[in-house]
Amino acid sequence: MTTLSVQDLVDAVRQADSALGLLQATQALAAAAHPDGAACLVEVLGFNNTGAAVAAVDGLIAIGEPAVDTILTNIDGYNYGARAWAVRALAGIGDVRGFEVLEDALGKDIGPSVRRAAARGLGQLRLEGLEPEPRRAMAERCLTALVDGCRDGEWVVRYAVAVGLELLAPAVHPDLAADVGPQRRLHEALQSLHCNPTEEAPVVSLRAALALQRLGVSHG
Amino acid sequence: MVAGVADQPIPGNGDPISEEEALRRLRLSDDPSAQYYAAWWLGRNRSSHPDAVPLLQEALRLRRPRDPGAGVEENAVARNAARALGKLGAPAQASIPDLLATLQDDDHGLREAAARALGELRASEAVEPLRQRLASGPAVAGAQQPGTPRLQEPCEALLEALGEIGEGRQEVVAVIEPFVQHERPLIRSAACRALLQLTGDARWGDQLVALLQHPQLQVRRAALMDLGAAGWRQALEPIAATLAENSLKLIALRGLVEQSSSAAPEPTAPSALTPDPATVAVLDAMDALL
Repeated sequence: MTTLSVQDLVDAVRQADSALGLLQATQALAAAAHPDGAACLVEVLGFNNTGAAVAAVDGLIAIGEPAVDTILTNIDGYNYGARAWAVRALAGIGDVRGFEVLEDALGKDIGPSVRRAAARGLGQLRLEGLEPEPRRAMAERCLTALVDGCRDGEWVVRYAVAVGLELLAPAVHPDLAADVGPQRRLHEALQSLHCNPTEEAPVVSLRAALALQRLGVSHG
Repeated sequence: MVAGVADQPIPGNGDPISEEEALRRLRLSDDPSAQYYAAWWLGRNRSSHPDAVPLLQEALRLRRPRDPGAGVEENAVARNAARALGKLGAPAQASIPDLLATLQDDDHGLREAAARALGELRASEAVEPLRQRLASGPAVAGAQQPGTPRLQEPCEALLEALGEIGEGRQEVVAVIEPFVQHERPLIRSAACRALLQLTGDARWGDQLVALLQHPQLQVRRAALMDLGAAGWRQALEPIAATLAENSLKLIALRGLVEQSSSAAPEPTAPSALTPDPATVAVLDAMDALL
């Protein structure tokens, strides 16, 4: 293993001639978590091999911030499966450079799997490194995108919005925000998901209730 | 299997329309493609308009000779009408006699759609006719029709409907059990699902969990949907670990939350919801798949 360079691992992925071979080669490349493997891992996202794509996303998240530019420049505008995986990788890395992609994906993408990954990602951007003012602004933009996402037509996206709102809650705490407004909007959004009389999926109400419970907000 | 969970894509006419427009199109008896789309639309959007069920009942009676030049094939409007009625809940109870008649149709696809709709409507009256359609067992009802990939009866739909309706009398269980040995894994999966719903016996859940390891993705997907439909909580970890799309695992896990008898939430009283620890474990697994 130690004798294999990253290039050897990349070559093994490109030369894989079976689904299992691709999966194993991708797992090996992902385990290396080396920035030079990022471009190849992004390619794997478009191969329509679920196991390999899962491994590639794990590898990209392990690489972290050095993978973000590669992902952003290679997002496939046509392959919905690949975009869902790329959005999931950006969501997992949590780098704020991914914000626009996540915001755009939640608001506009026609693939529910892309929108749901984006909703979760908007709740878990790593805002700690930002100065207080841009940090507040970014948290509020995430909040606005998630509040809009409460009206999504797919239950799984509304579910992911509830999760995203719960994850975002610390970033809009009154100690960090300009006032209590953002926190109130976040709680109201969760309450609307919890009490929506037209909700067809009880699991969405239930997940919003769990979020409110965890945030110490009374519901019902 | 996946019917009722993922709607079939509708070719053409996929434009957004209003409920009024859907009802108008369903009345266009000389335009089957307009009716086809309209029937699908009313089901997809859970129409509660008082005209919807009567118009769909009429559409269910439409029979057309096959016209290879037409965009919509034989009896397709009636099939979509049956599917839509299955999604309309209480108001569609009035259509149960029509669906029971459709269950005796010569058209295999129509019997399949009618069986699924009767299952979705939890129609007790359908248990005996569904049971009779399966009573000849895997060797007759479950035998392949010569020259087609179809079985003599739409076994998967018939089995699933019996499970959905949920009347686990001994004579019903006895007819379903032999299908657990059917040569097709999708039929085995449907039979295990129905038996699990009717009896709660862990051996059927264990067989479904074993199918999550099947080499064919199509079979793993079916087992996921079937475990979700049965709300089999013991399958939580195997579902999360299955090699299949996260979208399907999420649907299956939603089923574990909503169908489980131990913690079925009451949608009309969401304020009463407080998830118990077992339910929280399922929700945590769902969060990890987003």
